[in-house]
Amino acid sequence: MFKHDHWVKPDLKRYRWLLFWSLTLGILTFVCAGALMFTSGYLIDFSARQPLFAAIYVPVVLTRAFGIGRPVFQYLERLTSHNWVLRVTSHMRRKLYQVLETDAAFWQEHRRTGDLLSLLADDIGHIQNLYLRAIFPTVVAGGLSLLITVGLGIFDWGFALWILLLLLVQLILIPWWGLLVEKKRKQRQKALTQQAYGDLTDATLGLSDWTITHHEQAFLQQATQAATALAASTHTSRKFQWLRDFCGDLAFGLIPAALLWWSAARFGGGQMAANWIGSFALVMFPLAMAFSNVAQGVGEWPTYQGALQHLNDLTPSERPLPAQLAAPTQVQALTLSDVHFRYNDAAPELISGVDLTMKRGEKIALLGPSGMGKTTLLQLVLGDLTATSGQVLLDGQSVLQYQSVRPQLFAVLDQSPFLFNTSVANNVRLGNETASDDEVWAALKAVQLDQLVASLPQGADTPVEEAGFAFSGGQRQRLALARILLQDAPIVLLDEPTVGLDPITEQALVATMFAVLKDKTVLWVTHHLQGVDRCDQVLFLEAGHLTLQGRPQDLLATSARYRHLYALDAGEI
Amino acid sequence: MIDKRLLQLPGIRKIMLMLAALTLGQAFVILGQGHFLAAGIVHAWHLLPMAGLVPYILGFGLAYAGRQAITWGRSALAEHYARRAASALQTRLLAQVYALGPQAVAQEGTGNLVTMALDGVSETQNYIELILNKVLSMMIIPWVLVGYIFMQQHLAGIALLIMFPVIILFMVILGMAARDESERQYAGFQRMSNHFIDSLRGLKTLQLMGISKQYAQNVYTVSEDYRKQTMKVLRIAMLSSFAMDFFATLSIAVIAVFMGIDLLNGKLSLYPALVALILAPEYFMPIREFGSDYHATLNGKNALTAIWQLLALPVPQPATHQPELAGPLTLTASDLTFQYPDRADGIKQASFTLHEGQKVAIIGASGSGKSTLLNLIGGFLQPEGESFTLNGTRLAHLAQPAWQEHLSYIPQNPYLFANTIAANIRFYQPEASAAAVRQAASEAGLSDWLGTLPEGLATRIGEGGRGVSGGQAQRIALARTLLAKERRIWLFDEPTAHLDIETESELKATMLPLFEGRLVIFATHRLHWLNQMDWVIVLAQGQIVAQGAPAELAAHSAAYQALVAQMKGEAHVQA
Repeated sequence: MFKHDHWVKPDLKRYRWLLFWSLTLGILTFVCAGALMFTSGYLIDFSARQPLFAAIYVPVVLTRAFGIGRPVFQYLERLTSHNWVLRVTSHMRRKLYQVLETDAAFWQEHRRTGDLLSLLADDIGHIQNLYLRAIFPTVVAGGLSLLITVGLGIFDWGFALWILLLLLVQLILIPWWGLLVEKKRKQRQKALTQQAYGDLTDATLGLSDWTITHHEQAFLQQATQAATALAASTHTSRKFQWLRDFCGDLAFGLIPAALLWWSAARFGGGQMAANWIGSFALVMFPLAMAFSNVAQGVGEWPTYQGALQHLNDLTPSERPLPAQLAAPTQVQALTLSDVHFRYNDAAPELISGVDLTMKRGEKIALLGPSGMGKTTLLQLVLGDLTATSGQVLLDGQSVLQYQSVRPQLFAVLDQSPFLFNTSVANNVRLGNETASDDEVWAALKAVQLDQLVASLPQGADTPVEEAGFAFSGGQRQRLALARILLQDAPIVLLDEPTVGLDPITEQALVATMFAVLKDKTVLWVTHHLQGVDRCDQVLFLEAGHLTLQGRPQDLLATSARYRHLYALDAGEI
Repeated sequence: MIDKRLLQLPGIRKIMLMLAALTLGQAFVILGQGHFLAAGIVHAWHLLPMAGLVPYILGFGLAYAGRQAITWGRSALAEHYARRAASALQTRLLAQVYALGPQAVAQEGTGNLVTMALDGVSETQNYIELILNKVLSMMIIPWVLVGYIFMQQHLAGIALLIMFPVIILFMVILGMAARDESERQYAGFQRMSNHFIDSLRGLKTLQLMGISKQYAQNVYTVSEDYRKQTMKVLRIAMLSSFAMDFFATLSIAVIAVFMGIDLLNGKLSLYPALVALILAPEYFMPIREFGSDYHATLNGKNALTAIWQLLALPVPQPATHQPELAGPLTLTASDLTFQYPDRADGIKQASFTLHEGQKVAIIGASGSGKSTLLNLIGGFLQPEGESFTLNGTRLAHLAQPAWQEHLSYIPQNPYLFANTIAANIRFYQPEASAAAVRQAASEAGLSDWLGTLPEGLATRIGEGGRGVSGGQAQRIALARTLLAKERRIWLFDEPTAHLDIETESELKATMLPLFEGRLVIFATHRLHWLNQMDWVIVLAQGQIVAQGAPAELAAHSAAYQALVAQMKGEAHVQA
């Protein structure tokens, strides 16, 4: 597992001094706690012999010092370890971002990426806990065990080894036992948690159907099945944990008992020596906490392991691309010549021989049933996918040779444009970071958002997710369109930007799109025929073939099928 | 210290009493543990024979084991109670969600409700356990111990007693300071902690804009800013546990020193001093444990408050006298008015009469109240006053079992749960025969698609199963309705808006013949449906501005004409 890890190991080396201090402070905290009881015990035993005050001066000072040292070290330890973990988190976040940025396969394999991305972000949180709750306590407890063994070894090596054995029970045997018993159960609980969320979301989303069935019991059963199983399994885990903790605590109790017996036997020879008995009998109690944390932290290992697995499975995969070219100053024609595509040899062919030429400034509408290759075709045009055979060419050069300058050639507007949680102006400026305020406002004016944005409390500096105000679907599309205007790429791909909008909003948006993109080459994927009159060509893509192709007015004259759909869309039949 | 509302949970007083008895027992066992240890040390200190030490060590061992056993018993008892209470709360919560209906869910947010019913309930369980264990410990154990210490040695007992309120005072002051600090930074915190997921979700957009590579540095910088702010808050927040630790350990040290001096002067003997030293950390233990779990109790408290709030919402009650629906249906609404609690929109004084066998379209611009009206007819929302009349029975709302048993509701994305296609079709009629399911599937136009599936009707859909396109989902919902013959009122909420034109055309061809003889109420903004409707209701800003047969409206209604013109794009309108 750790052999191929590239998420934990590099970070242990980074900021190693901070890490060192954090662990050292952790050990010092418990050393002080133990030493406080040790010196207090000695102080009281010794004072009971009624020596001169000067003789107890050193233990008095030490007792106070350790009493103050413990909380101070603990406070510093907490700050240092959190600081370390948060620093490492910053690196992990950047790394996760960079890996995903280059991992083209990830985006292809996972269609519904939203949830998955949150899960990956959670995984980083799990690794934080791996450090704070499992690794740190284990190292601290290990360090303490070493110190205790060496300390006792000064007096009696044989006895020290016995105590080490008892400490190893706490450090290794008990956590290992817990892991052995709990591993499968934790995995099942993880699966059940997911299922419980899925089932309950399903049930609440379908509540209108459930309401009219009047089957309350069936609803409750469906909604709580996994949650109940999860609660039962968690209960079993808890029962085991009580048993584990009980055994751990009992075994720990052997240590002070043994220390009392041993110190009485060893130091019982003379009055001065006997003053140490109290010290040894009391020193272990404050250390119990250091050891009980280990079993608990290590018990969560299956969660950490899953998180590590996910992250380590992500591998940046660079696509093989031909030598890259500089962006051409203009593009006269975009040509698809006999393009075929399938994901792999076993998969069905999604695009089967598409030929198409788009001249500069042409507007083409692409229609077809969902799942019939429209999006795949757009990905091929962009160069996100490589054609199995055939080519996508920009003035005779393969589009694959322009991938490093692609944003200068292509702009994309899709169904749900992503707005970052920052100001309106920053969202628009993503298209061109050097754009002046005037240019941003010009773009907002072109997409007819200028009045709306000017009326916002902070104008263009208003955050897009500001409470009490949310951009509507049509407005979000307009904002994204403004972004594209600043990007100023010659070819614009529109991937069903009007789905989900009502016809009035849709009409207005289509009118604006065609007005502001009139100089661009536009490939517009759409699900119905509203606005296609504005295009130079209409294409129907079905099962990977272009089945209908022509100027809209020609199709209206020659194709009965087109006429039928057109009339339907216009509400005429 | 104990949330008063918790005491209303059934059976909690009894369990608290039992736990209090156990805790009291535990306090004495802890006392015993300290006593035997101190006495053992005193025995050895006097250089007495080793054999005499055995009873003390055995006594210590027994007390120690007894203490751990009681801890186990207390945890098990508290968990047993809390688990049942939480599970009962979960069932009540979901039953309440069921009774409140889909609109309440929409208002609350599906995500919120799911989190409340799962995380919230488990936080509540945790909270109940913590209260039952940690708070009871704090209320019982220290006082038994300090009482014994006081009996042995007055000064140490008084010193410990004084420290207790001091610790609590400092914890409260510092806790408040930390809360103020984190509240001041809350907005920034939220923004920055969402920033990372935001960046991941927007990665594709950043790539298209060609700035995804350089944005990596931004991810790092924001995360580092977040760290710096977090550390600022932590420095204060952790002071509170520092104060607790500081006073606890320091008072142990101070007591040790003073007792040392008393011993030195012969004012004190060894046993009382040792026993006070040994028990002092045990005296502080409960409050330290409570302090470290304090945040968990806050989460649990908030979760419980949210759940109780939802449980307190009023639930629509069905009328005692249910309408008679055996014959042909007539539904009349007169001055139907509904207002959303914290929004301006709703339905204002709508009046209409609908008959079985009619096909009714509800049209209007977005936000005009189409879905609201449909939800009122479905009984998912309850209007003001008593404005419905159903087959002669006046009703306050339509959340009536007699009415809803005849309903079928098909939204844009019909509810398909993770199971086989057949099980999804059987949703309303779990005991329908295989032949009836096949018949319904074929009427809904599913046969061609089912023919391409190796497992046919037994194919699993939904999560972990086969993907279903929008058109197929609509057809499965239709088949489900067709199988339940008594469901003769069909409500549709924009069923085809997101489909491509050809799929829509095919689905329409399937649907139209099925509409015959039923009451179909259809909210839509696709114009072509209007031609097949018998009645059209035109809404604008929550009011019915026109209604009638479509041909009549097209000829005479200005409101209808204007709306249709807008939808066709004949008038230029700002989005």
